[in-house]
Amino acid sequence: MSEDPKLGALRKGFLEFLVLRIIRGSKVYVADILKKLAATDFATQEGTLYPLLSRLRREGLLDYQWQESEAGPPRKYYRLTAAGERQLAEFDAYWVRLNQTIDSMGS
Amino acid sequence: MRPVISVSLNGRAYQLEDDAHAALAEYLDSAARELAGNPDQAEILDDLEHAIADKLERCLNPHKTVVIRSEIEQVIREMGPVDSGVAGASPHDSGPAGEAPAGSGTAAGAGSSREPDEPASKRLYQISDGALISGVCKGISVYLDIDVTLVRLLFVIAAVLTGGLAILVYIVMMFIVPYANTAEEHAAARGLPFNARVLVEQAKLKAAQLADAAAQAAMHNRSREARMQWKAEWRKARAQWRQERRRSRAQWRAYRWTGIPPATASPAAPPLPPLAHLICGLIAAALGLVGALVTVAWLFALFSLLTTGAVFGWMPFHLPLWGAVIALLLIYLAVESPVRAVRHAMVPRFYGYPYHWYAFWDGLVGLALLALALWYVTHHGHDLQNSFDSLQQNLQPAWHQFLLAWQTLVHGTH
Repeated sequence: MSEDPKLGALRKGFLEFLVLRIIRGSKVYVADILKKLAATDFATQEGTLYPLLSRLRREGLLDYQWQESEAGPPRKYYRLTAAGERQLAEFDAYWVRLNQTIDSMGS
Repeated sequence: MRPVISVSLNGRAYQLEDDAHAALAEYLDSAARELAGNPDQAEILDDLEHAIADKLERCLNPHKTVVIRSEIEQVIREMGPVDSGVAGASPHDSGPAGEAPAGSGTAAGAGSSREPDEPASKRLYQISDGALISGVCKGISVYLDIDVTLVRLLFVIAAVLTGGLAILVYIVMMFIVPYANTAEEHAAARGLPFNARVLVEQAKLKAAQLADAAAQAAMHNRSREARMQWKAEWRKARAQWRQERRRSRAQWRAYRWTGIPPATASPAAPPLPPLAHLICGLIAAALGLVGALVTVAWLFALFSLLTTGAVFGWMPFHLPLWGAVIALLLIYLAVESPVRAVRHAMVPRFYGYPYHWYAFWDGLVGLALLALALWYVTHHGHDLQNSFDSLQQNLQPAWHQFLLAWQTLVHGTH
């Protein structure tokens, strides 16, 4: 099942946006994010997600804290920083405009 | 024998077979290369190790402490290739789009690897544990997953309604339906998967029992000797268990090739006091002998009836031949079933099944059913005979026509 690489490139940009949205909802750890994405077109694996999260943290959009889990070793739980919230709000606004633009063209 | 390499992932030790270790090292090396220059390289690698450790936990249990190559490869597939995270930086990378099918594929793979390898096929067998006559009804009840008493009741009703035809069906099935002797066949009779997973679960159960015994022993005596003894016992039990599996499998193979049913493989007996073991064994053996004698006597009687028309020159009722055969069968069952009931009550205890009394009651219920059937035949024998006669009269023209057609066919071809 091969797909147009153009669609893949589009999605790659959106993954960051989606991850920020997932983290905004509640404090999550990596398995939660993977599970949420798994059922969608954005199914992602650890090999992609960890570097992405690390970059977002370095950009100051999110933060994590270690938390004991009921079973197993402690986990990193992620949440948005104030900068992350602002970035996401921008993304959201941009998404609405983008949608309107796309809808208004070629109809 | 493979060398094992211990590695530490996120503060926990894991043992990998050498080629599994090589595969993991290669994955982490390539991840490190991909992340070269990334200021968070060390942290991301830590995260990846953490995730790998989580996934490896799934493959391990107290009975399996070493990770093999295929498991590492599965984990690596689930992890996916490491992407430096610089969006659009690597043109060869199709990103999540390319990974999506792989991700869903491995998810399905992970699910199916826990399923049985093949759908369990269900087969009809005769089952002699808890059987009343030969185990046909018991086999049917297991096959259909309903109570054996219900099947017997239906059989008796069918026997009465069809004027004995169901008994003939039973006898035919007695000879053509194979016996479930091995664990595989018992599993197939119930339509259960019989594979490594089931074996592992049995092994776990056994280990738990042994551990219990060991704990009890430890309470009595915490000395080193006791531990040694329990270790030796555990090894012995494991060896015995392995041997049993091997033997039953070999027998099953032999059975399939030669059609010779294997001798009943006895499941490992639980520890039973020696005296009780002896008594149970003696009673079971004596009852088995009695049962065999009754069966032989019955076969002689049947032979005599079929050849001379009387049981050893004795014919108390004026029954037609078919009625006499049924009566003989019922008499045989009436004599044999109490013996059988007691034997089955004894033998399961021997084998450690939890339902000793079930077998006993099963036998009693069967006996009651037989008494009912016997009563019916003695009180309504005439009705039965009439219905059978009318059936015969109805069938006779058809039979003659069939014979005629057959003869013309045979002569026509000559």
